[in-house]
Amino acid sequence: MKNMRYLAISVVILFILPTIAVAFGEETKEYVNRRAVIWNEFFRMTTAAFVVGAVVSGTLIWVIWRFRESHPKNKEPTKWETGESH
Amino acid sequence: MGGHSSWPEWVYIGVVVAILVWVGADSWYIEHLIDHAPAEAEIIKVTGQQWFWSFEHADGTKEVGELHLKKGHPYKFEVQSKDVIHSFNIHDYVVLMDAVPGRINTVWFVPDEAGTFPIQCREYCGLLHYNMRGTLYVEEL
Repeated sequence: MKNMRYLAISVVILFILPTIAVAFGEETKEYVNRRAVIWNEFFRMTTAAFVVGAVVSGTLIWVIWRFRESHPKNKEPTKWETGESH
Repeated sequence: MGGHSSWPEWVYIGVVVAILVWVGADSWYIEHLIDHAPAEAEIIKVTGQQWFWSFEHADGTKEVGELHLKKGHPYKFEVQSKDVIHSFNIHDYVVLMDAVPGRINTVWFVPDEAGTFPIQCREYCGLLHYNMRGTLYVEEL
């Protein structure tokens, strides 16, 4: 019984309400605003480019900082360098 | 690789790949969105030649160097060239399309503001390229 109620609610939300909205909705013609769409896309892509740039250059900076010869953790040769692991 | 954790590498790869996939998907969607002209768009033939623009409306009216359109109405430009490659640009409405000899390229837009706007060739097309300009007049309906 409970399932049937959920099913009925789902049908109303998914199919009946959109149909009523289309049937009785105002007939207004909305066009794509080319200027807004293209500039928004430009700024989104710029943000993505800067994020990728930050991730890549940040990783490189960390790798260079962490694996420099003078880093305290690099004082002793690793087990891979001494051949102990083989 | 014994004892060596590689999860930071996988996170790194995951983040970069996710961003790049999103970039591709979003660009594809936007391109698809602005590519399809509405059926009621009025077709205007745009011809570029050294060094001026001429326009032909659907009713046969011709204009040279200036273009009169109505605010809020969709227009589809069929852009072509008579000599070399030009590029038809209405900067304020982000309309930009190459005019290539032997080819018709299309671009559409809806002017949403009344006023006058510059039209400019955006592909170097010879000595007077800099002066290959026109004016768009958008009038209230």
